[in-house]
Amino acid sequence: MTDTAAANTGSQTRSIVVEEVFPHAPELVWKVLTDGELITRVLMPPSGFAPVPGTQFTFRTKPAGRWDGTIQCQVLEVVPCEKLVYSWKGGHADNIGYGSLLDTIVTWSLSPAADGATRLRLEHGGFELPRNETAFTTMSGGWKTVVPRIAPLLDEFD
Amino acid sequence: MIQDEHVNTIMRALADPTRRKVYERIATTEEITVAELTRGSGVTQGAVSQHLKTLRLAGLVAERPEGRNVYYRAEPQGLAPLAGWMSHYDAFWRERFGKIRDILKEIDT
Repeated sequence: MTDTAAANTGSQTRSIVVEEVFPHAPELVWKVLTDGELITRVLMPPSGFAPVPGTQFTFRTKPAGRWDGTIQCQVLEVVPCEKLVYSWKGGHADNIGYGSLLDTIVTWSLSPAADGATRLRLEHGGFELPRNETAFTTMSGGWKTVVPRIAPLLDEFD
Repeated sequence: MIQDEHVNTIMRALADPTRRKVYERIATTEEITVAELTRGSGVTQGAVSQHLKTLRLAGLVAERPEGRNVYYRAEPQGLAPLAGWMSHYDAFWRERFGKIRDILKEIDT
C-alpha cells in the first residue's frame, strides 16, 4: 500500500492518495465499494446510497461543536468496475481541526493488475490548507493566532 | 480515531487559563525552567509542574534536563493536529483499506 498524504493538485488544495493491489477481481472490489451492507462495514452506514450519478446520500459520524456529524455526499460519476466519484461535505466553520468545514471529493479508481488482481486507488481531494498554515507552527508565533481562536471552543473541554 | 483524541487532549490542555498562560510563556522563550515559570505566575512551583506535565503529555512542550534544572521549550509542531481534516482522513483511509482487504478475502470464495 502506498500513501501519499501530501500529493497535491497544484492549486490551493491537497489530496490524500491511498493505493493497493488486491488479489481479487475488479467486480468484487466494485461490490465492496457499492453494496450498502459492505459500505457499512468499510466506512459507515450510508443513508440513501445508490451507484447512480446525481444520487444524494449521507453518512453519520461523530458530531463536533455546531456540526451534527452528517457527511453530505452526492454521486458524481459512475463507471462500473472502473470509477466511482462522490462529493464528501460536512463540518462547520466555527470548528477547527476535526469538525471544521469540509468540502471534498472522494474518487475510487479500479484498474486491472497482473494475474487478475485489481489496483484500487483512493483519492480524497479538495482539502483546503488552513488559511495561514504557519498559524499552526508554534515557532513562527502560531500560538498567538491559534490559541485565541480556539479559546471560545475550550469551554466544552472543561 | 486516534487523531480526534489527540486534538481533544490538546484542547483540554489549553482549556485551563493558567495552563494556557504557562504554555504561551514557554512559546515566547527559547527555553525556560520551572523556577522561572513560577516567578510572577501567582501559583506554586508544584502547580506549575503539574501544568507542565499535562502540556508535555499533550505534545505541546518538550523538556531537557541539565544538571539540577529542567528546561522546557515549545514543540514546534505541537499545534499541528489542530490543522484540519487532512491528518484525520489520512489515518481514516489507511485503516479502511485494511477493512477492504479483509472483506475481499471473506467474500471471494
